[in-house]
Amino acid sequence: MGTSVQVTPLCGVYNENPLSYLVSIDGFNFLLDCGWNDLFDPSLLEPLSRVASTIDAVLLSHPDTLHLGALPYAMKQLGLSAPVYATEPVHRLGLLTMYDQYLSRKQVSDFDLFTLDDIDSAFQNVIRLTYSQNFHLPGKGEGIVIAPHVAGHMLGGSIWKITKDGEEVIYAVDYNHRKERHLNGTGLQSFVRPAVLITDAYHALYTNQTARQQRDKEFLDTISKHLEVGGNVLLPVDTAGRVLELLLILEQHWSQRGFGFPIYFLTYVSSSTIDYVKSFLEWMSDSISKSFETSRDNAFLLRHVTLLINKTDLDNAPPGPKIVLASMASLEAGFARDIFVEWANDPRNLVLFTETGQFGTLARMLQSAPPPKFVKVTMSKRVPLAGEELIAYEEEQNRLKREEALRASLAKEEETKAILGADDNASEPMVIDTTTTHDVVSSHGPAYKDVLIDGFDPPSSSLAPMFPFFDNTAEWDEFGEIINPDDYKINDEDMDRGAMHSGDVDGRLDEATASLMLDTRPSKVISNELIVTVSCSLVKMDYEGRSDGRSIKSMIAHVSPLKLVLVHAIAEATEHLKQHCLNSICPHVYAPQIGETVDVTSDLCAYKVQLSEKLMSNVIFKKLGDSEVAWVDSAVGNTESDTTRSLLPLPSAASPHKPVLVGDLKIADFKQFLSSKGVQVEFAGGGALRCGEYVTLRKVGPTGQKGGASGPQQILIEGPLCEDYYKIRDYLYSQFYLL
Amino acid sequence: MESSSLKRREQPMSRDGDQLIITPLGAGNEVGRSCVYMSFRGKTVLFDCGIHPAYSGMAALPYFDEIDPSTVDVLLITHFHVDHAASLPYFLEKTTFKGRVFMTHATKAIYKLLLTDYVKVSKVSVEDMLFDEQDINKSMDKIEVIDFHQTVEVNGIKFWCYTAGHVLGAAMFMVDIAGVRILYTGDYSREEDRHLRAAELPQFSPDICIIESTSGVQLHQPRHIREKRFTDAIRSTVLGGGRVLIPAFALGRAQELLLILDEYWANHSELHNIPIYYASPLAKKCMAVYQTYILSMNDRIRNQFANSNPFVFKHISALNSIDDFRDVGPSVVMASPGGLQSGFSRQLFDIWCSDKKNSCIIPGYMVEGTLAKKIVNEPKEVTLMNGLTAPLNMQVHYVSFSAHADYAQTSTFLKELMPPNIVLVHGEANEMMRLKQKLLTEFPDGNTKIMTPKNCESVELYFNSEKMAKTIGRLAEKTPGVGDTVSGILVKKGFTYQIMAPDDLHVFSQLSTATVTQRITIPFSGAFGVITHRLGKIFETVEASTNEETGLPALKVHERVTVKQESEKHISLQWSSDPISDMVSDSVVALVLNISREVPKITVKEEEEEEAVKSEEENGKKVEKVVYALLVSLFGDVKMGENGKLVIRVDENVAQLDRESGDVESEHEGLKERVRLAYQRIQSAVKPIPLSAE
Repeated sequence: MGTSVQVTPLCGVYNENPLSYLVSIDGFNFLLDCGWNDLFDPSLLEPLSRVASTIDAVLLSHPDTLHLGALPYAMKQLGLSAPVYATEPVHRLGLLTMYDQYLSRKQVSDFDLFTLDDIDSAFQNVIRLTYSQNFHLPGKGEGIVIAPHVAGHMLGGSIWKITKDGEEVIYAVDYNHRKERHLNGTGLQSFVRPAVLITDAYHALYTNQTARQQRDKEFLDTISKHLEVGGNVLLPVDTAGRVLELLLILEQHWSQRGFGFPIYFLTYVSSSTIDYVKSFLEWMSDSISKSFETSRDNAFLLRHVTLLINKTDLDNAPPGPKIVLASMASLEAGFARDIFVEWANDPRNLVLFTETGQFGTLARMLQSAPPPKFVKVTMSKRVPLAGEELIAYEEEQNRLKREEALRASLAKEEETKAILGADDNASEPMVIDTTTTHDVVSSHGPAYKDVLIDGFDPPSSSLAPMFPFFDNTAEWDEFGEIINPDDYKINDEDMDRGAMHSGDVDGRLDEATASLMLDTRPSKVISNELIVTVSCSLVKMDYEGRSDGRSIKSMIAHVSPLKLVLVHAIAEATEHLKQHCLNSICPHVYAPQIGETVDVTSDLCAYKVQLSEKLMSNVIFKKLGDSEVAWVDSAVGNTESDTTRSLLPLPSAASPHKPVLVGDLKIADFKQFLSSKGVQVEFAGGGALRCGEYVTLRKVGPTGQKGGASGPQQILIEGPLCEDYYKIRDYLYSQFYLL
Repeated sequence: MESSSLKRREQPMSRDGDQLIITPLGAGNEVGRSCVYMSFRGKTVLFDCGIHPAYSGMAALPYFDEIDPSTVDVLLITHFHVDHAASLPYFLEKTTFKGRVFMTHATKAIYKLLLTDYVKVSKVSVEDMLFDEQDINKSMDKIEVIDFHQTVEVNGIKFWCYTAGHVLGAAMFMVDIAGVRILYTGDYSREEDRHLRAAELPQFSPDICIIESTSGVQLHQPRHIREKRFTDAIRSTVLGGGRVLIPAFALGRAQELLLILDEYWANHSELHNIPIYYASPLAKKCMAVYQTYILSMNDRIRNQFANSNPFVFKHISALNSIDDFRDVGPSVVMASPGGLQSGFSRQLFDIWCSDKKNSCIIPGYMVEGTLAKKIVNEPKEVTLMNGLTAPLNMQVHYVSFSAHADYAQTSTFLKELMPPNIVLVHGEANEMMRLKQKLLTEFPDGNTKIMTPKNCESVELYFNSEKMAKTIGRLAEKTPGVGDTVSGILVKKGFTYQIMAPDDLHVFSQLSTATVTQRITIPFSGAFGVITHRLGKIFETVEASTNEETGLPALKVHERVTVKQESEKHISLQWSSDPISDMVSDSVVALVLNISREVPKITVKEEEEEEAVKSEEENGKKVEKVVYALLVSLFGDVKMGENGKLVIRVDENVAQLDRESGDVESEHEGLKERVRLAYQRIQSAVKPIPLSAE
């Protein structure tokens, strides 16, 4: 009877690879995250490519590469065409992250996996939801409700709740239970007993998380120590995720201390990032929105941080010690890599890692202990073509154009032949012979050709180039030609147009970005290998904003799902958490391999009945916490609709049932309750509670587990026959409801 | 419909479904002090909490006396205007209200600024002050924020909100109580303007739509025509050497007008030497809010925002007070309040009203009873603030920019939603009636009820609340057929019901079951055999065994209570708690205590057995008497009928009860059911408890 649920990991199990999982609910396929890593290795996406076209909806959880990096590529190359759901910040910051990735890559390589246009079109159709918005899926997903909830970790970060027929599937990865400066802690603990929980074991083995205050102090001390001796500090960061927390820490500290050292935030999209973040106050922590409500102080009006979008600005900055936060955190590309190579050989400098680098990247290599003395780095640079190369390039381009045009016209002829004889029903909007545009296009890059024919459908069935002809059949009635009054209306929008400016998809892209996009001068990438002496200090601190192992365990125990699926962690951590959960939380724990489908359909039996008014009028509810309970004895009867059964009162007296005590006794709470009633009470050894002089009370049986998954509680009360005994027994009974 | 105080009304038992009550405490057949009370199935929601701008002091409040504020679960504020939010500090701080309050982020941010300003500006005596700044600050801590579309659940009441247009942060609330949906539009506009989005069309059709009717059956002119009339009037006045006064409320529509003016000035360089003043420090303060919550605005302004901040005006300067204003030539001044009751706009009006070169443009809705409303009818004279009368020579224009839905928008909105019940609020009585009549012609099939309650007049609706439960777990392993019995624990959370076996309780809910084992020691120094013997006399089953470890004897009474000899001096009782076992153990304890007190009394027992037989008969009679007495006390007229049946008369209805089988015959279903149930309960009360309770 239950809803069928299957989970198939596509990437990111038993290792730290990007996240991407297929969850099929009654045949409706969700892709949970669509991540890639900073190395952009297409082989990682191989499992995704096999199922991409069958996916019905994509849910994104965080605005970083690991969670959404593959989206443009999958949309463009793998046939992914499903609607994408994300929160507004995940959409916006995710887009900026992808821009930054692309622009950083393009600088150092002939990056051709996707283009800016691909990024735009992938993000254009993201459906934006707010936290706790219950979105009813249309069409095929009828009956499924999805809702993002607060995850912590990153701005807009979501855990997803997918509900069908009252059964909940929760997808919670990279959540953070701790409240931070700009984010609230996760709301995961508000879900209790979902059918399935899909979560990561990433931090399962990581335990010694330092207290926030102490960590912040160490962080700031380390930085100021290096600045004071005249060194520079580099923080390799992500584009728009965890960096926000770091910026706030530095900003707050700088305004309290009045430090003079400049802070630079350098990514290709830094100013857009901060501009958008300023308008995302709704998504941030309570304290930030409260301070805005009372004093209209926007926490992200950064007074001490300079936003830079290209390296030259940094080079032109006044000399002297400074802090630079630059992307990418992996040091595989971006400004951070360039700066690292420049600064690495000065022992006064500091490179401060705030998160564990992705596997197999330069950052990870530098984080190993002991840190390497030398690293071999391939530095690449894009330089414009000149001289012979340029001529050769142009010739090559022209030749390609011609070939392409020839191919196109051939293909068209083929098509035309195929279509000849077929019905002449197609109304061709426009016919263009690509050869005619050839001359215009050839002087530009290939991308421009797309622009010129953009808006016209390529001809598919025409014999010769011609403009479309529409037979204008006007309808007449006794008053003359029938007109559509709307055609003559003055459109309000026309008025606005004066004020509108033409923007790209977002309306804002930095100048540098724009120039880079439009810079179609032929160029090439030259690489050279360097040996970089690492004499600067390397420090790593945990600003990842993820819950640690202990919290993960208690969080899972609290949620206590009926079935648990573990993903995204190295084999050791996965195995550790799996064993832990099997032993003490729930008997159904799965950790599938890539491509392995686990069926987590709940074996739950259920059927719906209508509660008749007659039955309900005799039911007396007892209130317990936020739910009410009652015992019912009823007979099954028919309803008018005939499809459902209804419950009616029993015709005769109910046969007695075994009484049930309902309630959750917490020894500590009970102790307080007793002492409030004037009973002398103290803890004796072994978790027993000594009440009064003689009576003892203890929990027996399998204890020590939370969440009640262990079964009914067993309580033992013993003592000699005395008044106290009966008094305490009455108090004990008062903690329960007898049904 | 009936009108009586809500406090006194008792919850009547459902006739055909559960009763839903909607009572406007304000804004019923009037504009101002919006406050609508709604109650359904024990849950209470209050929409908006405004004051009436035309009154002051207590008289401006909604009729809070009609309700018990402590019963209100949730209070939802749609937007920051004073007629929707300004009695909130009073309601939160000065009444017994203890529920939760929600509004959107932008509303909350502006609410504080606005009300702080309101307290400062309103010049009323101290005793008339409804609240002070401290109350506002305290209320800020209690107000919770909700984002558009975010679903929040409080005590089983689910609600979320949609964009309403009107002003920044304005919301329409959809409330779902046990599957019945109520939409409260607040003030809304379906037309996109320079900075706001149009009101959304909710995804689901509500069962009841509580909708504003400010504009009644009026139709707005198209926006560009209104804008042209507005700018033309200003242009001709200032070029003719006159001054233009635009009395407007500081926030909301004012921002829209400033956007229009700034753009118009930018496009007309000949006007550049004529200053535009904006006399509101409050609006200046609120600019940060406008700059931050761009997510609540439309795409147009968000795109513009990329280049420069559209709320930084190039041709408009701010004025802090009338003292800073140098009235030397043509100028355009926008000042608050919008109703010309007092304040800066009134001061300027008094100075300018007798010069015919000047004009006054009223850009929005005028509340009944304000000067703005009066001058639209162009009287010859007006009374100034100092009590003198002066001729009204200035031109008065009325160009409505009030972002309220007009008739066309309202009717299309309602046609899309097709709510079976429509409650009109927030409109003057006449306008409301006209709207009602016209709407009725649009929904001629008669399936749509349109109601226009006055203040404190309740609308009562009935909804069939079909309660559905889900049987899960072990209990649902087999789907039962008709006639089968289903017994289990019914768990109600919010308005969802689940039936489950006791053993599954901890699996499917946060509750858990418990077993309490009791062990009690009693001093007893006699022979254990005595106990065995005595127990054997009283209880049906007493199993004897020996403890294997100690070799001491043990007994199991009624398969429930274990009696063990612990030592020479003690015996112990152990059992698992439930009412019957507790009782059995109590009697064992009593028996043991008796033995220890008076040992030689065994012999009497033989006689008792004979007595027992006799008493059986007596018991039977006693039971009959008790049953009869109880039935009389319940139903009054109970007689012994023929063939041993009891005849029960209640009013006109007769029921016959067969005492043997418990069957009841009656033509009246209700009575039959009641008698049957009563008899069942009496039976279980007077008969001995069966021991096979497993």
